[in-house]
Amino acid sequence: MLAPLFERFSRAAIDAGATVEQIPRSSTALASAIRRVTGEARRIAFANAIDLPSDPFEECRRAPNVVTARSRIELSSLDAGITEAFAGIARTGSVCVSVDHGEAGTISLLARMHIAVLASETIIERPADLFRPDCLGAKGLHRNFVFITGPSATADMGPLVRGVHGPHRLHLIVLA
Amino acid sequence: MPANISPSIPSPRSVADKSDKSALLAAIRMALQVESSAVRHNTQSFNRGRYAATSAIPDYETLKDKARAIKEDSLARLPELLAALEASVSRNGGHFHLAPTAADASRYVAEVCREAGVRLVVKGKSMTSEEIGLNRALDALGIQVVETDLAEFILQVADEQPSHIIAPAIHYSRERITALFKRSFRTDLPLATGEELTAFARGRLREKFLQADAGITGANFIAADSGTLVLVESEANIRMASLLPPLHIAIAGVEKIVPSRKDFGPFLELLAASATGQPMTSYTSVISPPLKAAPVLAEGDAPPRQFHLVLVDNGRLNLGQDECLREALYCIRCGACLNSCSNFQTVGGHAFGGETYSGGIGGTWESATRGLQNARFSELCTGCSRCVPQCPVRIDIPWLNTVLRQRLGQLDVGKRPAPNPLAPSADSGASLSRLFFARYDLLAKWGSRFPKFSNWIGQFAPARVLLERLFDVDRRRHLPLFASPTLVEASRQLRLDQPQARKDGSSRKSVLFADVFTNYGSISRGLAALRVLRALGVDVVVSNVVADGRATLSQGLIAAAARQAERTVALLRPYLKDGRDIIVVEPSVLAMFHHDYRHLLKSGPAGELLQTLRERSFEATEYVGMVLQENQINAAEVFPALRHPLGTKLFYHSHCQQKTMGCAAPTELLLRAAGFDVVTSQVECCGMAGSFGYKKDFYELSLAVAEDLFAQVRKAESGGRRILVASGTSCQEQLQAGLGRPVLHPLELLGETLRQAVVASVP
Ligand code: SF4
Ligand code: SF4
Repeated sequence: MLAPLFERFSRAAIDAGATVEQIPRSSTALASAIRRVTGEARRIAFANAIDLPSDPFEECRRAPNVVTARSRIELSSLDAGITEAFAGIARTGSVCVSVDHGEAGTISLLARMHIAVLASETIIERPADLFRPDCLGAKGLHRNFVFITGPSATADMGPLVRGVHGPHRLHLIVLA
Repeated sequence: MPANISPSIPSPRSVADKSDKSALLAAIRMALQVESSAVRHNTQSFNRGRYAATSAIPDYETLKDKARAIKEDSLARLPELLAALEASVSRNGGHFHLAPTAADASRYVAEVCREAGVRLVVKGKSMTSEEIGLNRALDALGIQVVETDLAEFILQVADEQPSHIIAPAIHYSRERITALFKRSFRTDLPLATGEELTAFARGRLREKFLQADAGITGANFIAADSGTLVLVESEANIRMASLLPPLHIAIAGVEKIVPSRKDFGPFLELLAASATGQPMTSYTSVISPPLKAAPVLAEGDAPPRQFHLVLVDNGRLNLGQDECLREALYCIRCGACLNSCSNFQTVGGHAFGGETYSGGIGGTWESATRGLQNARFSELCTGCSRCVPQCPVRIDIPWLNTVLRQRLGQLDVGKRPAPNPLAPSADSGASLSRLFFARYDLLAKWGSRFPKFSNWIGQFAPARVLLERLFDVDRRRHLPLFASPTLVEASRQLRLDQPQARKDGSSRKSVLFADVFTNYGSISRGLAALRVLRALGVDVVVSNVVADGRATLSQGLIAAAARQAERTVALLRPYLKDGRDIIVVEPSVLAMFHHDYRHLLKSGPAGELLQTLRERSFEATEYVGMVLQENQINAAEVFPALRHPLGTKLFYHSHCQQKTMGCAAPTELLLRAAGFDVVTSQVECCGMAGSFGYKKDFYELSLAVAEDLFAQVRKAESGGRRILVASGTSCQEQLQAGLGRPVLHPLELLGETLRQAVVASVP
């Protein structure tokens, strides 16, 4: 018997160097989860959500360390960037983030830490499934997106180093 | 050039072009002295990672079949898919350009950049852009190109060509990168760890990303129906290049097209697992540019996004017409055939590679994109076949290199290479040295008629000098001794060749194939096989000796090999008809039956028998294991390891082709079941690989390859001596050369336990 999707997703994501937590589906729980992970961060930014219902980040945005002005330079100095992910992949521990809606692409790329929020029912088995028309409303077929699997990494400088041009840390929050 | 390296060692750039053989030899020397330890460490770690990652994919073999089928279909429909892709890209609002040549591709990109007023380009890793020499074209216009993949960044600083298709700076150790950066950037920072080096490069490159006017990337896969690109990476530099600047140019070979996005599926898992040994790399972008989100700028209004897709032909469409080499176009550039190759692990792609492409698959690519003469490094492919099961699209890499070998021979004698490798004239370019190694059967036949003389010649120094001059046989190599009587003669004398009908014991009937290596060389392996099988009640006879084609094929004499293959099948046909299994002692010969003959016997009666031959031929030790199992015989009872006079501890090295055919594990199991304490080697190939290690040009390389094997033996023997056991003739030679001790075949070992058990049972 295979373990449930979430467990395998979480194990694979951790193997890839991400951290994972599952929280109850409420804006208060999400706000406090984000506060916990971004505790030390001086500059954080949110990308608007398009898949999660209502505005999941509404409560979080009130924090004093949230920045809204947006230029490359400003985005480049973010300590943390928070986006939603429209799918998770159990076998590989990846999350899928749209890169062509608002600023999710840049925020998930330029911030030192990327936090991705996804709904547990969007976790699917393997990457190939995403390209089926009956999978998650064919989002995989219609969108520009990126499979993100762990933080950016390189083995070009000798040993494996996590944190290269992209985020040094990836934290995944799964809404139960 | 680093200070500690003597100026007599050539720079990698100076030996990138290997159209002249002397460059290949200089490159091997350079690589062995300077790059070997880093390459070995890094490729072997990729290699282990790949084995772990692919074994975690439950339907790995099916995925490979699917991937292969998609590639076959795509390439068969290429003109149609190109037209569809052009339409999709323009529908999306991008520009499409099909570049016939490297020069045209570079010119187009340079023109686009010039028109857009680009001053700074950030570039992701792209072998295709290396192939077309893009950076030079942009430099000429005063456009600054910054390589942002850290490996390419290192190479740009060092001015070297890639040494690996997925990890282009794999030949750099951390220490050498530190030295390079300190020298080039004149910094006092310690840069003493991977983290410090990465942070340093990140800082310099972040600025460039934020200022760049254009990003240039490659593409791993492109869907024709939607113009969607798949971009696979780990560092996020490709995401930066495709997302931040307003202008994105993607450059890719025409072979990257697949019909639609649903075809991406199998490749997403296969590529990462085969390349870096990860389920997926950090980032796999799936985008249909131009993107709609406005580019983020330093300040001010963003210009509209622009996207250009440049598809490069540069010899690929011709390659698609080449019956023999076509399948190279299916390559997804995962690097598995580099990492699993013992020769590559030892020297890397500066020796085993050309200006852009490297490793076993690199020869065909250099030949298609630059010219046949640039494929000379493909000589470093020994045909060991270890890469074959690793290739996610099932390309027969050693076969491609054999064809290149044959064609290079023709080129060398000024002939136009024949497209059909089976045409008798196609072999006409073989050098004297190749002919010498190819006709080992004739040599051995005469050698074993006059064994005293021929074996004396083999040790007579002036004769060795002559052999070296004429045929490239390295004088430092011990030559195998010729046997007299031969296996066929000895088995007759000892009456081991008679059919035996027995009431008890196995019901199997078989024939021991007297291959040239066993018949004229190590007959004791053959005799041991006969004794063991007879003891188990197998009715076994011995065939006549015939050259099976292995030696000729390994020298690129494909037409000659095909003729020998036909004769071999003719010899075996009556035995198969008679219901006999074919037993083969030499694994490389069995690999001919199972694998190589399909290229040589495409039609005719021999071709029709091929399937049967494949199903009914077995490696000798594997066969013994099968017979035991079928008859529920306990190995420890017939082959009591404890009775072996040399003890029960052994070190076993299986043959490369034996591993590929999946018959290494059964031998290990059998030896263990008999009660032996077995340590097995963990190398892909011993480095001897038939004739390869005997050749003067490759002697040092061959022994360098074997260092890992020798070290593993020494480590295993830290607690005391072990019996050395190997299944291949040339592996035995290599182990003996390195460790100075005799090496047994598994059946010699088992045969001895059997004999001792019989002796002990006589009252
Ligand atoms: S057949 Fe062997 S030597 Fe040739 S490329 Fe493959 S692994 Fe390397
Ligand atoms: S030939 Fe096969 S194994 Fe080698 S790089 Fe290409 S796809 Fe990978």
